[in-house]
Amino acid sequence: MILSQYRSHLVKFQSLIALVLLCIGIGLLSDKFFTVDNGWNVMRQISVNICISVGMTLVVLTGGIDLSVGSVLAIGGAIAAGLLKFGIEIPSGNLYIGFTLLGSILGGLVIGSLLGLFNGWAITKFKVPPFVATLAMLTIARGFTMLYTKGFPVSNLGDSFAYIGTGWFIGIPVPVWISAIVIVVAIIITQKTALGRYIYAIGGNEHASKLSGINISKVKIIVYGIAGMLAAVGGIIVTSRLDSAQPNAGMSYELDAIAAVVIGGTSLSGGRGTIMGTVLGALIIGVLNNGLVLLNVSPFWQQVVKGGVILLAVIIDKANSKND
Amino acid sequence: MMKKAVKYILAIILVLFIASNSIYFKKLSDVKASAAKQFDAAKYARNYLTTQLIPAADKAPQADELLALLKSSPDTAFKMYSHGLDIGNIRFFMVQGQGTVTAVDENDIYILTKDKQALKIAIEYVFGNALRDAPGLININDFTNTMDLNNIAAEVDKIVRAEVLPPIKSKVKTGDKITFAGAFELNQEHINLEKIEVISVVLKIDK
Repeated sequence: MILSQYRSHLVKFQSLIALVLLCIGIGLLSDKFFTVDNGWNVMRQISVNICISVGMTLVVLTGGIDLSVGSVLAIGGAIAAGLLKFGIEIPSGNLYIGFTLLGSILGGLVIGSLLGLFNGWAITKFKVPPFVATLAMLTIARGFTMLYTKGFPVSNLGDSFAYIGTGWFIGIPVPVWISAIVIVVAIIITQKTALGRYIYAIGGNEHASKLSGINISKVKIIVYGIAGMLAAVGGIIVTSRLDSAQPNAGMSYELDAIAAVVIGGTSLSGGRGTIMGTVLGALIIGVLNNGLVLLNVSPFWQQVVKGGVILLAVIIDKANSKND
Repeated sequence: MMKKAVKYILAIILVLFIASNSIYFKKLSDVKASAAKQFDAAKYARNYLTTQLIPAADKAPQADELLALLKSSPDTAFKMYSHGLDIGNIRFFMVQGQGTVTAVDENDIYILTKDKQALKIAIEYVFGNALRDAPGLININDFTNTMDLNNIAAEVDKIVRAEVLPPIKSKVKTGDKITFAGAFELNQEHINLEKIEVISVVLKIDK
């Protein structure tokens, strides 16, 4: 009985334990790790992954997957930057529509949401497997980004825009505030709203959820829409940090997001997982990345280590599911 | 019914408020006209070169003195002679001097100064911010965006590639005595004097 309770606690806090052990290990090997600057650096770096991973968690909880988040991130950032810098020209009416900072951000978010909603619509309407539908969107969104930017970065976006990715507010970097808001809202959605309960129910047993009257299509479309919007939030942060919207931004970010979700204990078959678990997963990946850089590990080995950690997380998850 | 109407009215007011703070309209012709009046980096660079950079090159420390100081007391050398627009470790120096050409390849002229200090003078790849930043005469706060600053550096380098280097590139050979003035960059944290490559604004073969 005591052993079972102990095991249950260990499973519950496995991500946290892994994070603490990782921090201690890297801290012992590098004296630069436990510094305030490095702490903020890690937090700033993971803020983008947190935004994407939170959206990915909602999708994975429904039993789906979204491979398009990296490309949606790129187009979200590019649209925000493009609207701010170039506005929209309508030569036939001799009209120029300019966008303020707020307008450009909303523009990026709307595009991200629309692409996400389209993913959800394609998945539910045509029963396209999420893997395939979002893989298609990965290419489509990247193509649109290239078309919109003509393959060139959109740079020099001004100090106000740069503040989003590089500014500080009450002693904390703005991207950290943004990711904190995303986390809090996502926790409220998953734990305190009907939508959250529907998400878990669909992931747990879609057929039963349908029979109990949940509008599966509507919930899924909303979830993919949220994932798209959060990818665009990440895109705006990345663009702001670089003061430049890069057409190839966000490549392979979906892998880090999926890794954060899996390491955080969310089941890839849906229905089980938490936002805080994903946040811990993102922290583990961020700390791991940071630690490997501080320890001068070759970038090639970094990839091997990261892949190994993800594999280990999935194996542990499988073992836990079996024991459950 | 009444509650629903109030909700809709509030939603419409909110949307209008956000929209009015998000977009604005102008005549396209006015926007294009104002864009045409924007900063002319080429003109600025030409003026900067003649009125600021070349006079600064005239007053630059002699290569032998500067290199000796960089060897003996790098902190003093950086404090006295280097400039830079940002707070990074890369700093820029103005320098002038004479030397004898020891070798020439497609990228550089290699010289030995009077005090037998080896230096490279770039003749192919002239890029970067050395000529813009080394004199320390450009104030970053005078520019509203970094692209203008980048364009100034690019235009100054362009002038050097087009006007300063071609007369020398085709003629210079080992054994020639040359006079040069220009700028180079050094990393304050990792000083490597062997890697110094001067971007010249004045370069001539002595007769």
